[in-house]
Amino acid sequence: MKISLNWLKEYVDLEGIATAEIIDKLTISGLEVEDVEEKGSGFDNIVVAYVKERKKHPNADKLSVCTVSTGDEEFNVVCGAPNVEAGQNVAFAKIGAIIPNGGFKITKAKLRGEVSMGMICSERELGISDNHQGIMVLDSSLEPGTPLKEALGLDDVVLEVAITPNRPDALSHIGVARDLAAIFNRKMTIPEVKLTECSERIEKYASVEVQDTTNCPRYTARLIKNVTIKESPSWLKKKLTSVGLRPINNIVDVTNFILYELGQPLHSFDLDRLEGQKVVVRRASDGETFTTLDSKERRLTSKDLMICDSEKPVAIAGVMGGENSEVTAETKNILLESAYFNPSSIRKTAKSLILSTDASYRFERGTDPNVTPYAADRAMQLMAELGGGEILTGTIDVYPEKIEPRTVTLRFNQIKRILGFDVDRKDVKDILLNLGLKVVSAEGQEEMTFEVPTFRPDLEREIDLIEEIARINGYDKIPAVSKISITLGGKTDQSSFRDRLRDIANGLGFYEIISNSLQSREIAQLTGKPVEMLNPLSSDMAALRTSLLPGALYAVSKNLNVGEKNLKLFEIGHIFNKLSDGEIKDFSDFSEIPGMMLLVSGKAETVKWYSKERPFDIYDLKGLVNSFLEKICLDNVLDDSYNLVENKNFEYNFTKTYKNQVVGRGGLVSKEMLRKFDISQDVYCFEFDLNLLADIPVPQKRFNGLLKFPKVLRDCAFILDTKVTGQEVVGLIYKSSSGLLKNVELFDIFESKNLGPDKRSMAFSLEYYDENRTLKDEEVDKDFNRAVEAVIKQLNAEFRGTS
Amino acid sequence: MDILQTIKETDKSFSQEIQKVQDIKSLEELRVKYLSRKGIVSTLFDDLKNVSREDKPLVGKSLNELRNSVQLRFDELKEKLESVSGKDHTLVDLSLPGRKTELGSKHILTQTLDEIKTIFKGLGFSIFEGPELESDYYNFEALNFPPDHPARDMQDTFFVNKSYLLRTHTSPVQVRLMTSQEPPVRAIMPGKVYRNEAISARSYCLFHQVEGLYVDTDVTFAELKGTLVSFARQFYGSDLKYRFRPSFFPFTEPSAEMDITCFLCHGKGCRMCKGSGWLEILGCGMVDPNVFKEVGYDPEKYTGYAFGMGIERIAILKYDIPDIRMYFENDLRFLKQF
Ligand SMILES: [Zn+2]
Repeated sequence: MKISLNWLKEYVDLEGIATAEIIDKLTISGLEVEDVEEKGSGFDNIVVAYVKERKKHPNADKLSVCTVSTGDEEFNVVCGAPNVEAGQNVAFAKIGAIIPNGGFKITKAKLRGEVSMGMICSERELGISDNHQGIMVLDSSLEPGTPLKEALGLDDVVLEVAITPNRPDALSHIGVARDLAAIFNRKMTIPEVKLTECSERIEKYASVEVQDTTNCPRYTARLIKNVTIKESPSWLKKKLTSVGLRPINNIVDVTNFILYELGQPLHSFDLDRLEGQKVVVRRASDGETFTTLDSKERRLTSKDLMICDSEKPVAIAGVMGGENSEVTAETKNILLESAYFNPSSIRKTAKSLILSTDASYRFERGTDPNVTPYAADRAMQLMAELGGGEILTGTIDVYPEKIEPRTVTLRFNQIKRILGFDVDRKDVKDILLNLGLKVVSAEGQEEMTFEVPTFRPDLEREIDLIEEIARINGYDKIPAVSKISITLGGKTDQSSFRDRLRDIANGLGFYEIISNSLQSREIAQLTGKPVEMLNPLSSDMAALRTSLLPGALYAVSKNLNVGEKNLKLFEIGHIFNKLSDGEIKDFSDFSEIPGMMLLVSGKAETVKWYSKERPFDIYDLKGLVNSFLEKICLDNVLDDSYNLVENKNFEYNFTKTYKNQVVGRGGLVSKEMLRKFDISQDVYCFEFDLNLLADIPVPQKRFNGLLKFPKVLRDCAFILDTKVTGQEVVGLIYKSSSGLLKNVELFDIFESKNLGPDKRSMAFSLEYYDENRTLKDEEVDKDFNRAVEAVIKQLNAEFRGTS
Repeated sequence: MDILQTIKETDKSFSQEIQKVQDIKSLEELRVKYLSRKGIVSTLFDDLKNVSREDKPLVGKSLNELRNSVQLRFDELKEKLESVSGKDHTLVDLSLPGRKTELGSKHILTQTLDEIKTIFKGLGFSIFEGPELESDYYNFEALNFPPDHPARDMQDTFFVNKSYLLRTHTSPVQVRLMTSQEPPVRAIMPGKVYRNEAISARSYCLFHQVEGLYVDTDVTFAELKGTLVSFARQFYGSDLKYRFRPSFFPFTEPSAEMDITCFLCHGKGCRMCKGSGWLEILGCGMVDPNVFKEVGYDPEKYTGYAFGMGIERIAILKYDIPDIRMYFENDLRFLKQF
């Protein structure tokens, strides 16, 4: 909200305090100044000057040579404007001035042989308007030599203050002034109102009926007759423009002025357009429509509070008035509304209409229910001053249940208990009294009770008073205490498992990505049963991801577009799936699981002086997955299975299972899937369920002693049908061997014409040893032969040899 | 005795010749000349049979000495030459790039979070986490956001329905933590949060926060300041200046925001700090008694502080990243820079 420093000074004495200090103190006491606009900046060395004489330039038709006076000095100046005349007051830029529009510096110049000691400025050159017809002619009453910014009333500083939602009282100049009064311990002045009322009473012309006193606890109305609608005087226009408001006419301007002065929203109705000269405050009926001041038709519900006359609605209470009763140039008689509405009711209406106004913004944060008569009186006084007319005697004030100020007791020892720092008792009192609180009990040794004004709805409890004391006294006065303390009990790190996985993935060459968990419903449905948003930003982000695959594919797509084609990526993040068909009513209706995705695509090896190019393939993925599991000691715990379930997202896939539960799945991503992401190269990926993975008991490691006896290696090769898998052969070798066989490795595989169709050769290396003795050749031979025999017989293999 | 003379001369000539040897190749030639089966030394042994019986022991001894000494010097030089050259050092081009194994990297946000976690672990904090898909109760109600209160406007929310939403901050984890254990509680709680705001260079629909909470019998605002100053000095540098300024969060009272002097302009004012000289790094405050009541802690017995910071913002400031969207585009050209 914009706050003018000049305006502010009408309510609080800030004499002798530098602007920079005011700004700084406001910020560090809770009213954060986000921006500072110095209105008159850039007008240095530009002053009011009197044109004493104007002569034609001897060498140029369109130029003139003027003598201007700044009171104590005279200057010769060449001017090109047609409208410059002797006897005018003009804006004169002296040597050294920087012209606001364009930023050039005025220097002594010679124009066609005539010396010019400055420049007479146009409005455009001053940055005041676009007018460049001629020079700016100033009011003749101005004293030559007066700095221009003073002459134009531009010597103001306007602050953009961020007001937190708990401080509705600070949404006005008086509110901000009150904080400053407390900060600097200065006096505040609230404008006094003196009204001259006419002999007639208001009740003769108008009545008010409040049907919903819950949502409209107070409705105050006053009436003024025979006003003249006209332009506001310059003091008022200047104030409104300084805070960014557009002056409209004297009546509207007065209500806006009070809004910014006091924070109380007011509304003026044209009394003659109120049917039955009556105001009724009631709920709208469902589906009722109403055209607001901005010419938009609004559809209302029975929850919305309306201001009506005896026939029709004339305003949406606290939000916006209607076209049908607004003040126009012809308006003579005005009914002024100064009301207090239930904040939550106004908020609901403003939310459902998606209509936030200066009025609704303040009402929904909470205005002061007890300021409405004062605000109405102040407005009446100004309207009469600016528009003539007669104020009717009396106020209609429907206020069935008075909202009394709260009382709050402060225990002095609680200040130190919360802040770790004690505030002087006198300062505590000064701060709270300057903020408008009153002492209601005699000061006790241990506590004191205060009455909190109704303009501070945020001060309800002792802790709220402690905050006020801390804030006004200054957070900087509270020491930064570093004490060493420990918290007994085990220290937990729920993120440590995933942090370890990240380190392993890095070691295996993967880069971590973080992708958007929100994606389109269509994409999320490809991998699961998505949870959808009620109010998505766009249809592209309407659902939560059900797998990490789509996000990783977006990353692949993005990288292919920028020429990064060789990718090893991983992501750790939550995935979400609905578990029931209906609406989510409980945490058990959906799952939120941490997952991990490993992805490779492009080339595993690029051309280097020592290597040839090689694309990633499924064996890279398998190997990486296994290395990964090895690092967390689960490589021998999980089982592999292949194409266990058909999955349309993969051309082929393999799974890692633990006790028949799938812990992870991956493979070659299907062409169809890749097409959706505009990816034209193979992508291999694997996704783990980290909850399941983390829960698998890791075999306890124990030192096994170092092998003291030699290992015996035996190799063998077979020609087999291509449908026989390596895993089958390895399984059979183990099965038909004794415990002496410790390891089998498939080390070579090839197909060729010589082997015949549907045949391939596989070679295995078998490792035998015993921890307690040296093996004899004969016993290894016996074991080895039995294994070879089994493969030949059971898998219909041809034995190619041994070594 | 001629043969003894010959042995002496052989030793001498070997000494001279081995001095000239520079490489394995000429060493091999020398070996063939002296030590091979037909070499000079073997030939001398062959001549031993012509030596008279009484001279044999002496000549034999000298011959053995010669052989051993030649062999020894040969071995020494061979070892030396091999260790200098590896194999053939003329073929080694040390300027060639090595065979590199590419290591990946953690996302810059993870790296930043890791740094934060390390500091707070050192200050005695545990690490807890909570769900991203939250209930209105944990995200708002239990944190003293009344329904229909404008405070809710501070955080534009993605709703799943009336009672479920994507958490807008990590503060609900505070509630989950406090309802699950009795004080003392000291933990940080990192995670993703979501805001329903238009996506731009400065805001994204999701970001990461770290929440902090410490509840015990005598926790004060002064201690909150001490802890956060200690954190900021470890993270941003020990010469840092800071200020705490009042703010508003429904779940803390008093509430504050912590600013540090802008490290680009050192407080003079620049584009990064929008001319103020200060950078806001986190929000904090004393846990509101209403939150304690909600989780069943006695506010007369316990006090506590809480704080929260955005990791994206911290990394933007620290690494001068111009656009928040870059974090989530996963462009390798970006990822590989960190
Ligand atoms: Zn800066």
